[in-house]
Amino acid sequence: MPEPLTFHMGKHPAVLPADLRYCKNHMWCRPGAAGTHRFGFTAYALRLMQDVYFLEWAVDAGAPVPLKAKIGYIETSKAQSELYAPLAGTVTAFNPEVLADPSAINADGYCAGWLFEMTGDASDTLDVDAYYAHLAAGWDNTQRILKGQINAAGDDD
Amino acid sequence: MSRRLTVVLSQAPGKHPAKRGLEESVVAALIMEPGVEVSVVPNLYDLGPGHTGRLFLEGVAGDMVVLSWLYPRAAFWLLDRDGIKGLFGETLLKPADDDEDTDDTPTDGDKPAAIGPAGELPDRHIYTLDLRDANKPDVFVQEVRRIAAECRDRRDEKARAKAANNPAIVQLGLSVRAPEPAVPAALAAFTPEQLLAPAGRRWYPVIDYDRCTNCLECLDFCLFGVYGVDALERILVESQDNCKKGCPACSRVCPQSAIMFPEYKSPAIAGADTGAVGGLKIDLSRLFGGEPADPLAAAVAERDRELVADGRTAVGAAVGLAKRQADVPAGPKDDLDKLMDDLDALGL
Repeated sequence: MPEPLTFHMGKHPAVLPADLRYCKNHMWCRPGAAGTHRFGFTAYALRLMQDVYFLEWAVDAGAPVPLKAKIGYIETSKAQSELYAPLAGTVTAFNPEVLADPSAINADGYCAGWLFEMTGDASDTLDVDAYYAHLAAGWDNTQRILKGQINAAGDDD
Repeated sequence: MSRRLTVVLSQAPGKHPAKRGLEESVVAALIMEPGVEVSVVPNLYDLGPGHTGRLFLEGVAGDMVVLSWLYPRAAFWLLDRDGIKGLFGETLLKPADDDEDTDDTPTDGDKPAAIGPAGELPDRHIYTLDLRDANKPDVFVQEVRRIAAECRDRRDEKARAKAANNPAIVQLGLSVRAPEPAVPAALAAFTPEQLLAPAGRRWYPVIDYDRCTNCLECLDFCLFGVYGVDALERILVESQDNCKKGCPACSRVCPQSAIMFPEYKSPAIAGADTGAVGGLKIDLSRLFGGEPADPLAAAVAERDRELVADGRTAVGAAVGLAKRQADVPAGPKDDLDKLMDDLDALGL
Protein backbone atom coordinates (compact mmCIF):
# COMPACT_ATOMS: atom_id res chain seq x y z
CA MET A 1 0.00 0.00 0.00
CA PRO A 2 1.38 3.45 -0.87
CA GLU A 3 2.57 5.68 1.94
CA PRO A 4 0.16 8.35 3.21
CA LEU A 5 1.08 12.00 2.70
CA THR A 6 1.29 14.41 5.61
CA PHE A 7 0.27 18.02 5.18
CA HIS A 8 1.64 20.27 7.91
CA MET A 9 -0.84 22.83 9.21
CA GLY A 10 1.61 24.90 11.14
CA LYS A 11 2.89 22.30 13.57
CA HIS A 12 -0.07 20.00 13.24
CA PRO A 13 0.40 17.04 10.88
CA ALA A 14 -2.70 16.18 8.84
CA VAL A 15 -2.30 12.66 7.55
CA LEU A 16 -3.82 11.91 4.14
CA PRO A 17 -4.10 8.20 3.32
CA ALA A 18 -3.01 7.44 -0.22
CA ASP A 19 -5.76 4.95 -1.02
CA LEU A 20 -8.58 7.50 -0.78
CA ARG A 21 -10.00 10.06 -3.19
CA TYR A 22 -10.53 13.62 -1.95
CA CYS A 23 -13.00 16.44 -2.52
CA LYS A 24 -12.24 20.16 -2.41
CA ASN A 25 -14.69 20.60 0.44
CA HIS A 26 -12.27 18.62 2.63
CA MET A 27 -14.12 15.34 2.59
CA TRP A 28 -12.48 12.07 1.69
CA CYS A 29 -14.20 9.65 -0.65
CA ARG A 30 -13.81 5.88 -0.67
CA PRO A 31 -15.27 4.80 -4.02
CA GLY A 32 -17.45 1.70 -3.73
CA ALA A 33 -17.86 -1.09 -6.23
CA ALA A 34 -21.55 -0.58 -6.92
CA GLY A 35 -21.15 3.15 -7.55
CA THR A 36 -21.94 3.99 -3.93
CA HIS A 37 -19.15 5.99 -2.34
CA ARG A 38 -18.44 6.60 1.31
CA PHE A 39 -17.49 10.07 2.59
CA GLY A 40 -15.98 11.55 5.74
CA PHE A 41 -13.91 14.49 6.96
CA THR A 42 -10.21 14.65 6.22
CA ALA A 43 -7.72 15.14 9.03
CA TYR A 44 -7.33 18.68 7.71
CA ALA A 45 -11.03 19.47 8.21
CA LEU A 46 -11.02 17.85 11.64
CA ARG A 47 -8.05 19.88 12.76
CA LEU A 48 -9.85 23.09 11.79
CA MET A 49 -13.05 22.08 13.54
CA GLN A 50 -11.74 20.08 16.50
CA ASP A 51 -14.19 18.18 18.72
CA VAL A 52 -17.52 17.60 17.02
CA TYR A 53 -20.43 18.38 19.33
CA PHE A 54 -23.38 18.26 17.04
CA LEU A 55 -24.17 16.91 13.60
CA GLU A 56 -27.45 17.01 11.75
CA TRP A 57 -28.52 16.19 8.24
CA ALA A 58 -30.95 18.34 6.30
CA VAL A 59 -31.84 15.69 3.73
CA ASP A 60 -33.22 12.17 4.07
CA ALA A 61 -31.52 9.05 2.82
CA GLY A 62 -32.71 8.39 -0.73
CA ALA A 63 -32.94 12.06 -1.59
CA PRO A 64 -31.28 13.23 -4.80
CA VAL A 65 -28.94 16.19 -4.20
CA PRO A 66 -27.23 18.52 -6.66
CA LEU A 67 -23.51 19.30 -6.32
CA LYS A 68 -22.85 21.71 -3.44
CA ALA A 69 -26.42 21.43 -2.15
CA LYS A 70 -26.74 22.07 1.56
CA ILE A 71 -27.10 18.66 3.18
CA GLY A 72 -26.39 19.25 6.83
CA TYR A 73 -24.92 21.26 9.65
CA ILE A 74 -22.08 20.64 12.07
CA GLU A 75 -21.05 22.34 15.26
CA THR A 76 -17.75 21.70 16.97
CA SER A 77 -15.77 23.12 19.83
CA LYS A 78 -14.20 25.72 17.56
CA ALA A 79 -16.41 26.07 14.55
CA GLN A 80 -19.74 25.66 12.90
CA SER A 81 -20.49 25.01 9.29
CA GLU A 82 -23.10 24.05 6.83
CA LEU A 83 -22.25 20.83 5.05
CA TYR A 84 -22.48 20.58 1.28
CA ALA A 85 -22.82 17.69 -1.13
CA PRO A 86 -19.42 16.74 -2.57
CA LEU A 87 -21.03 15.23 -5.68
CA ALA A 88 -24.29 15.37 -7.54
CA GLY A 89 -26.11 12.14 -6.78
CA THR A 90 -28.28 10.42 -4.22
CA VAL A 91 -27.47 10.10 -0.55
CA THR A 92 -28.09 6.46 0.30
CA ALA A 93 -27.14 6.24 3.96
CA PHE A 94 -25.92 8.24 6.94
CA ASN A 95 -23.61 6.72 9.53
CA PRO A 96 -25.95 6.10 12.48
CA GLU A 97 -23.01 5.74 14.88
CA VAL A 98 -21.80 9.30 14.48
CA LEU A 99 -25.33 10.67 14.60
CA ALA A 100 -25.73 9.02 17.98
CA ASP A 101 -22.26 10.00 19.18
CA PRO A 102 -20.26 12.34 16.95
CA SER A 103 -17.03 11.76 18.90
CA ALA A 104 -16.23 8.86 16.57
CA ILE A 105 -15.60 11.45 13.87
CA ASN A 106 -12.65 12.79 15.83
CA ALA A 107 -11.52 9.42 17.14
CA ASP A 108 -11.39 7.64 13.79
CA GLY A 109 -12.21 10.07 11.02
CA TYR A 110 -11.04 7.91 8.13
CA CYS A 111 -12.86 4.74 9.16
CA ALA A 112 -15.51 4.36 11.87
CA GLY A 113 -16.17 8.12 11.72
CA TRP A 114 -17.48 8.09 8.16
CA LEU A 115 -20.40 10.45 7.51
CA PHE A 116 -22.56 9.26 4.65
CA GLU A 117 -22.70 7.23 1.48
CA MET A 118 -23.94 8.51 -1.83
CA THR A 119 -24.12 7.49 -5.45
CA GLY A 120 -22.90 9.71 -8.24
CA ASP A 121 -20.00 10.31 -10.55
CA ALA A 122 -16.88 10.49 -8.39
CA SER A 123 -14.44 10.85 -11.25
CA ASP A 124 -13.91 14.56 -10.51
CA THR A 125 -12.50 13.83 -7.06
CA LEU A 126 -8.80 14.39 -6.42
CA ASP A 127 -6.11 11.83 -5.72
CA VAL A 128 -3.96 12.34 -2.65
CA ASP A 129 -1.27 14.30 -4.52
CA ALA A 130 -3.80 16.68 -6.03
CA TYR A 131 -5.52 17.18 -2.66
CA TYR A 132 -2.15 17.86 -1.02
CA ALA A 133 -1.44 20.44 -3.70
CA HIS A 134 -4.92 21.93 -3.15
CA LEU A 135 -4.21 22.28 0.57
CA ALA A 136 -0.78 23.76 -0.01
CA ALA A 137 -2.16 26.29 -2.50
CA GLY A 138 -5.00 27.31 -0.20
CA TRP A 139 -3.21 27.33 3.15
CA ASP A 140 -2.36 31.03 3.24
CA ASN A 141 -5.89 31.97 2.30
CA THR A 142 -7.35 29.52 4.78
CA GLN A 143 -5.40 31.16 7.55
CA ARG A 144 -6.57 34.53 6.36
CA ILE A 145 -10.22 33.43 6.37
CA LEU A 146 -9.82 32.09 9.89
CA LYS A 147 -8.14 35.25 11.14
CA GLY A 148 -10.68 37.43 9.36
CA GLN A 149 -13.48 35.58 11.06
CA ILE A 150 -11.90 35.85 14.45
CA ASN A 151 -11.53 39.59 13.98
CA ALA A 152 -15.06 39.97 12.69
CA ALA A 153 -16.44 38.38 15.84
CA GLY A 154 -20.18 38.29 15.90
CA ASP A 155 -20.77 38.12 12.18
CA ASP A 156 -23.30 35.53 11.31
CA ASP A 157 -23.25 32.98 8.50
CA MET B 1 -38.53 40.56 55.34
CA SER B 2 -38.23 37.17 53.70
CA ARG B 3 -39.84 37.39 50.35
CA ARG B 4 -39.22 34.29 48.34
CA LEU B 5 -37.41 34.26 45.05
CA THR B 6 -39.41 32.66 42.25
CA VAL B 7 -37.43 30.28 40.07
CA VAL B 8 -39.05 29.00 36.89
CA LEU B 9 -37.47 26.27 34.80
CA SER B 10 -38.44 26.16 31.14
CA GLN B 11 -38.08 22.65 29.76
CA ALA B 12 -36.26 21.79 26.57
CA PRO B 13 -38.62 20.94 23.72
CA GLY B 14 -38.51 17.23 22.93
CA LYS B 15 -37.33 14.54 25.25
CA HIS B 16 -33.56 14.84 25.20
CA PRO B 17 -32.53 12.55 28.07
CA ALA B 18 -29.43 14.51 29.06
CA LYS B 19 -31.37 17.78 29.13
CA ARG B 20 -34.25 16.23 31.07
CA GLY B 21 -31.71 14.78 33.48
CA LEU B 22 -30.14 18.16 34.17
CA GLU B 23 -33.57 19.80 34.51
CA GLU B 24 -34.69 17.21 37.04
CA SER B 25 -31.56 17.47 39.16
CA VAL B 26 -31.68 21.27 39.18
CA VAL B 27 -35.34 21.24 40.25
CA ALA B 28 -34.72 18.55 42.86
CA ALA B 29 -31.90 20.57 44.37
CA LEU B 30 -33.81 23.86 44.32
CA ILE B 31 -36.90 22.40 45.97
CA MET B 32 -34.78 21.85 49.08
CA GLU B 33 -33.46 25.39 48.93
CA PRO B 34 -34.91 27.76 51.56
CA GLY B 35 -36.35 31.05 50.29
CA VAL B 36 -36.82 29.73 46.79
CA GLU B 37 -40.07 28.79 45.06
CA VAL B 38 -39.54 26.49 42.06
CA SER B 39 -41.94 25.84 39.19
CA VAL B 40 -41.53 24.07 35.89
CA VAL B 41 -43.13 25.16 32.62
CA PRO B 42 -42.77 23.81 29.07
CA ASN B 43 -40.40 25.51 26.67
CA LEU B 44 -40.90 29.25 27.24
CA TYR B 45 -40.75 30.02 23.54
CA ASP B 46 -43.70 27.76 22.79
CA LEU B 47 -46.08 29.14 25.43
CA GLY B 48 -49.07 30.70 23.67
CA PRO B 49 -51.14 33.49 25.23
CA GLY B 50 -53.63 31.13 26.88
CA HIS B 51 -51.18 28.60 28.27
CA THR B 52 -51.33 28.04 32.01
CA GLY B 53 -47.55 28.28 32.21
CA ARG B 54 -47.67 31.76 30.77
CA LEU B 55 -50.51 32.86 33.03
CA PHE B 56 -48.40 31.65 35.91
CA LEU B 57 -45.40 33.66 34.76
CA GLU B 58 -47.59 36.73 34.31
CA GLY B 59 -48.78 36.35 37.87
CA VAL B 60 -45.34 36.26 39.45
CA ALA B 61 -44.52 39.47 41.27
CA GLY B 62 -41.09 40.27 42.56
CA ASP B 63 -37.70 39.04 41.47
CA MET B 64 -37.59 35.99 39.27
CA VAL B 65 -35.00 33.60 37.90
CA VAL B 66 -35.83 31.84 34.64
CA LEU B 67 -33.75 28.84 33.66
CA SER B 68 -34.17 27.90 30.03
CA TRP B 69 -32.34 26.41 27.07
CA LEU B 70 -32.28 29.83 25.43
CA TYR B 71 -29.67 32.56 25.41
CA PRO B 72 -30.25 34.98 28.31
CA ARG B 73 -30.99 37.92 26.01
CA ALA B 74 -33.50 35.88 24.02
CA ALA B 75 -35.31 34.62 27.10
CA PHE B 76 -35.40 38.08 28.68
CA TRP B 77 -36.85 39.89 25.67
CA LEU B 78 -39.24 37.03 24.96
CA LEU B 79 -40.71 37.50 28.43
CA ASP B 80 -40.75 41.26 27.95
CA ARG B 81 -42.78 40.89 24.74
CA ASP B 82 -45.24 38.68 26.61
CA GLY B 83 -45.75 41.43 29.18
CA ILE B 84 -43.57 39.77 31.82
CA LYS B 85 -41.37 42.74 32.42
CA GLY B 86 -38.61 43.71 34.76
CA LEU B 87 -35.05 44.92 34.88
CA PHE B 88 -32.40 42.71 33.32
CA GLY B 89 -30.68 40.72 36.05
CA GLU B 90 -27.05 40.10 35.23
CA THR B 91 -26.03 36.49 35.71
CA LEU B 92 -22.44 35.53 36.43
CA LEU B 93 -22.85 32.30 34.49
CA LYS B 94 -21.01 32.38 31.22
CA PRO B 95 -20.73 29.88 28.37
CA ALA B 96 -18.40 27.04 29.28
CA ASP B 97 -15.86 27.61 26.53
CA ASP B 98 -15.73 31.33 27.21
CA ASP B 99 -12.38 30.88 28.94
CA GLU B 100 -10.87 34.27 28.59
CA ASP B 101 -13.40 36.96 28.11
CA THR B 102 -11.53 39.80 26.53
CA ASP B 103 -14.17 42.46 26.13
CA ASP B 104 -16.84 41.72 28.66
CA THR B 105 -17.95 45.30 28.97
CA PRO B 106 -19.63 46.44 25.79
CA THR B 107 -18.42 49.79 24.60
CA ASP B 108 -21.36 52.07 24.14
CA GLY B 109 -19.23 54.61 22.34
CA ASP B 110 -20.29 54.24 18.72
CA LYS B 111 -23.51 52.35 19.35
CA PRO B 112 -26.61 54.09 18.04
CA ALA B 113 -29.20 54.85 20.66
CA ALA B 114 -31.57 51.95 21.18
CA ILE B 115 -35.20 52.63 21.94
CA GLY B 116 -35.17 50.53 25.11
CA PRO B 117 -38.07 48.68 26.68
CA ALA B 118 -41.56 50.10 26.28
CA GLY B 119 -43.46 51.65 29.17
CA GLU B 120 -42.74 51.62 32.88
CA LEU B 121 -40.74 48.67 34.13
CA PRO B 122 -41.85 47.18 37.41
CA ASP B 123 -39.27 47.46 40.15
CA ARG B 124 -38.00 43.91 40.03
CA HIS B 125 -35.25 41.98 38.31
CA ILE B 126 -35.60 39.06 35.96
CA TYR B 127 -32.54 36.83 35.70
CA THR B 128 -32.42 34.58 32.67
CA LEU B 129 -30.00 31.67 32.96
CA ASP B 130 -28.98 29.47 30.06
CA LEU B 131 -29.04 25.78 30.98
CA ARG B 132 -26.44 25.12 28.28
CA ASP B 133 -23.83 27.05 30.24
CA ALA B 134 -22.97 24.12 32.50
CA ASN B 135 -23.80 20.45 32.75
CA LYS B 136 -23.74 20.19 36.52
CA PRO B 137 -26.82 21.13 38.59
CA ASP B 138 -24.61 22.57 41.37
CA VAL B 139 -23.53 25.43 39.14
CA PHE B 140 -27.13 26.57 38.73
CA VAL B 141 -28.00 26.04 42.38
CA GLN B 142 -24.99 28.16 43.41
CA GLU B 143 -26.00 30.88 40.98
CA VAL B 144 -29.60 30.87 42.24
CA ARG B 145 -28.26 31.21 45.79
CA ARG B 146 -26.09 34.12 44.74
CA ILE B 147 -29.04 35.78 43.02
CA ALA B 148 -31.29 35.20 46.02
CA ALA B 149 -28.72 36.93 48.22
CA GLU B 150 -28.31 39.77 45.72
CA CYS B 151 -32.09 40.33 45.61
CA ARG B 152 -32.31 40.24 49.39
CA ASP B 153 -29.55 42.83 49.70
CA ARG B 154 -31.23 45.03 47.16
CA ARG B 155 -34.55 44.86 49.02
CA ASP B 156 -32.89 45.54 52.35
CA GLU B 157 -31.08 48.50 50.86
CA LYS B 158 -34.36 49.93 49.58
CA ALA B 159 -36.10 49.32 52.86
CA ARG B 160 -33.32 51.15 54.69
CA ALA B 161 -33.48 54.06 52.28
CA LYS B 162 -37.22 54.24 52.70
CA ALA B 163 -36.97 54.06 56.48
CA ALA B 164 -34.41 56.83 56.47
CA ASN B 165 -36.73 59.06 54.47
CA ASN B 166 -39.78 58.71 56.67
CA PRO B 167 -38.43 57.76 60.04
CA ALA B 168 -41.38 58.56 62.28
CA ILE B 169 -44.08 56.25 61.06
CA VAL B 170 -42.63 52.78 60.96
CA GLN B 171 -41.59 52.78 64.56
CA LEU B 172 -44.83 51.31 65.88
CA GLY B 173 -44.01 48.01 64.38
CA LEU B 174 -47.67 47.08 64.03
CA SER B 175 -48.60 48.63 60.74
CA VAL B 176 -45.97 46.81 58.76
CA ARG B 177 -47.76 45.51 55.70
CA ALA B 178 -47.57 41.83 55.08
CA PRO B 179 -45.30 41.33 52.11
CA GLU B 180 -47.30 40.39 49.07
CA PRO B 181 -46.74 36.76 48.24
CA ALA B 182 -44.47 36.10 45.28
CA VAL B 183 -47.12 33.87 43.77
CA PRO B 184 -50.72 35.10 44.10
CA ALA B 185 -52.97 32.61 45.81
CA ALA B 186 -55.06 32.02 42.70
CA LEU B 187 -52.01 31.04 40.72
CA ALA B 188 -50.46 28.94 43.42
CA ALA B 189 -53.45 26.69 42.84
CA PHE B 190 -52.17 25.66 39.42
CA THR B 191 -51.27 22.02 39.47
CA PRO B 192 -47.95 20.94 37.96
CA GLU B 193 -49.97 19.06 35.33
CA GLN B 194 -51.67 22.27 34.24
CA LEU B 195 -48.39 24.13 34.15
CA LEU B 196 -46.85 21.40 32.07
CA ALA B 197 -49.67 21.01 29.55
CA PRO B 198 -47.88 20.35 26.29
CA ALA B 199 -47.45 23.46 24.18
CA GLY B 200 -47.36 23.25 20.38
CA ARG B 201 -44.14 24.35 18.73
CA ARG B 202 -44.07 28.01 17.74
CA TRP B 203 -41.77 30.17 15.63
CA TYR B 204 -41.53 33.95 15.79
CA PRO B 205 -38.97 36.73 16.15
CA VAL B 206 -38.05 38.39 19.44
CA ILE B 207 -36.81 41.99 19.43
CA ASP B 208 -33.99 43.11 21.73
CA TYR B 209 -35.05 46.67 22.52
CA ASP B 210 -31.65 47.37 24.01
CA ARG B 211 -30.39 47.17 20.42
CA CYS B 212 -33.40 48.15 18.30
CA THR B 213 -33.25 51.70 16.97
CA ASN B 214 -36.75 51.60 15.49
CA CYS B 215 -35.43 51.91 11.92
CA LEU B 216 -38.41 49.80 10.77
CA GLU B 217 -36.42 47.89 8.15
CA CYS B 218 -37.97 44.65 9.42
CA LEU B 219 -41.44 46.12 8.98
CA ASP B 220 -40.62 46.95 5.36
CA PHE B 221 -38.93 43.65 4.68
CA CYS B 222 -41.34 41.11 6.11
CA LEU B 223 -44.25 40.54 3.77
CA PHE B 224 -46.21 38.26 6.09
CA GLY B 225 -47.56 40.87 8.49
CA VAL B 226 -45.53 39.81 11.50
CA TYR B 227 -44.43 43.31 12.47
CA GLY B 228 -46.45 46.33 13.41
CA VAL B 229 -46.07 49.51 15.42
CA ASP B 230 -47.64 50.54 18.71
CA ALA B 231 -49.45 53.80 19.48
CA LEU B 232 -46.08 55.53 19.80
CA GLU B 233 -44.93 54.25 16.39
CA ARG B 234 -42.51 51.84 17.97
CA ILE B 235 -41.83 48.54 16.23
CA LEU B 236 -43.31 45.42 17.76
CA VAL B 237 -43.85 41.81 16.83
CA GLU B 238 -47.57 42.21 16.34
CA SER B 239 -48.68 38.84 14.95
CA GLN B 240 -46.20 36.25 16.15
CA ASP B 241 -47.97 33.34 14.54
CA ASN B 242 -47.95 34.89 11.07
CA CYS B 243 -44.24 34.14 11.02
CA LYS B 244 -42.98 31.38 8.71
CA LYS B 245 -41.47 28.44 10.55
CA GLY B 246 -37.73 28.23 10.08
CA CYS B 247 -37.38 31.56 8.29
CA PRO B 248 -34.95 33.99 10.00
CA ALA B 249 -34.82 36.45 7.09
CA CYS B 250 -35.78 39.60 8.99
CA SER B 251 -33.06 38.90 11.52
CA ARG B 252 -30.49 39.05 8.73
CA VAL B 253 -31.68 42.41 7.42
CA CYS B 254 -31.71 44.07 10.85
CA PRO B 255 -28.80 46.55 10.88
CA GLN B 256 -28.45 46.27 14.67
CA SER B 257 -28.78 42.49 14.94
CA ALA B 258 -31.64 43.19 17.30
CA ILE B 259 -33.95 40.46 16.00
CA MET B 260 -33.56 37.03 17.53
CA PHE B 261 -35.02 33.66 16.65
CA PRO B 262 -34.22 31.91 19.92
CA GLU B 263 -34.27 28.44 18.41
CA TYR B 264 -32.35 29.15 15.22
CA LYS B 265 -29.23 27.05 14.86
CA SER B 266 -26.67 29.82 14.48
CA PRO B 267 -25.84 31.47 17.78
CA ALA B 268 -25.80 35.06 16.53
CA ILE B 269 -29.42 34.81 15.33
CA ALA B 270 -30.49 32.80 18.37
CA GLY B 271 -29.46 35.68 20.63
CA ALA B 272 -25.95 34.82 21.76
CA ASP B 273 -24.09 37.86 22.94
CA THR B 274 -21.98 38.59 19.93
CA GLY B 275 -18.41 38.29 20.93
CA ALA B 276 -19.23 35.33 23.13
CA VAL B 277 -20.31 32.05 21.59
CA GLY B 278 -21.15 33.49 18.22
CA GLY B 279 -17.81 35.16 17.91
CA LEU B 280 -15.66 32.31 19.13
CA LYS B 281 -17.07 29.80 16.71
CA ILE B 282 -15.55 30.09 13.32
CA ASP B 283 -17.87 29.57 10.38
CA LEU B 284 -16.14 27.12 8.07
CA SER B 285 -18.95 27.04 5.51
CA ARG B 286 -16.74 28.87 3.03
CA LEU B 287 -14.05 26.22 3.29
CA PHE B 288 -16.50 23.35 3.17
CA GLY B 289 -18.09 24.39 -0.09
CA GLY B 290 -20.56 27.11 0.81
CA GLU B 291 -21.13 30.24 -1.19
CA PRO B 292 -19.83 33.56 0.16
CA ALA B 293 -21.90 34.70 3.11
CA ASP B 294 -24.21 37.52 2.17
CA PRO B 295 -26.90 38.05 4.76
CA LEU B 296 -29.09 40.16 2.49
CA ALA B 297 -29.01 37.61 -0.33
CA ALA B 298 -29.78 34.85 2.14
CA ALA B 299 -32.68 36.85 3.56
CA VAL B 300 -34.12 37.57 0.13
CA ALA B 301 -33.86 33.87 -0.83
CA GLU B 302 -35.52 32.79 2.41
CA ARG B 303 -38.33 35.27 1.98
CA ASP B 304 -38.92 34.22 -1.63
CA ARG B 305 -39.09 30.57 -0.59
CA GLU B 306 -41.80 31.39 1.95
CA LEU B 307 -43.72 33.58 -0.50
CA VAL B 308 -43.77 30.79 -3.08
CA ALA B 309 -44.78 28.25 -0.44
CA ASP B 310 -47.72 30.56 0.31
CA GLY B 311 -48.77 30.59 -3.34
CA ARG B 312 -47.57 34.16 -3.74
CA THR B 313 -45.02 35.57 -6.18
CA ALA B 314 -41.36 35.81 -5.31
CA VAL B 315 -40.25 39.43 -5.16
CA GLY B 316 -36.48 39.06 -4.96
CA ALA B 317 -34.66 42.13 -3.72
CA ALA B 318 -37.23 44.52 -5.22
CA VAL B 319 -39.32 44.93 -2.07
CA GLY B 320 -38.37 46.16 1.37
CA LEU B 321 -34.66 46.73 0.78
CA ALA B 322 -34.88 50.07 -1.02
CA LYS B 323 -33.65 52.19 1.85
CA ARG B 324 -30.57 50.13 2.45
CA GLN B 325 -29.57 49.81 -1.19
CA ALA B 326 -29.91 53.50 -1.85
CA ASP B 327 -27.35 54.05 0.87
CA VAL B 328 -24.64 52.04 -0.80
CA PRO B 329 -22.60 54.10 -3.23
CA ALA B 330 -20.87 52.20 -6.02
CA GLY B 331 -17.47 53.48 -5.00
CA PRO B 332 -14.06 52.29 -6.14
CA LYS B 333 -12.90 48.97 -4.74
CA ASP B 334 -11.12 49.18 -1.43
CA ASP B 335 -8.86 46.70 0.34
CA LEU B 336 -11.77 44.76 1.73
CA ASP B 337 -13.27 44.29 -1.72
CA LYS B 338 -9.92 43.08 -2.93
CA LEU B 339 -9.68 40.58 -0.11
CA MET B 340 -13.17 39.33 -0.89
CA ASP B 341 -12.27 38.97 -4.57
CA ASP B 342 -9.17 37.00 -3.61
CA LEU B 343 -11.30 34.69 -1.52
CA ASP B 344 -13.75 34.24 -4.37
CA ALA B 345 -10.89 33.47 -6.73
CA LEU B 346 -9.81 30.77 -4.35
CA GLY B 347 -12.77 28.72 -5.55
CA LEU B 348 -13.08 26.51 -2.52
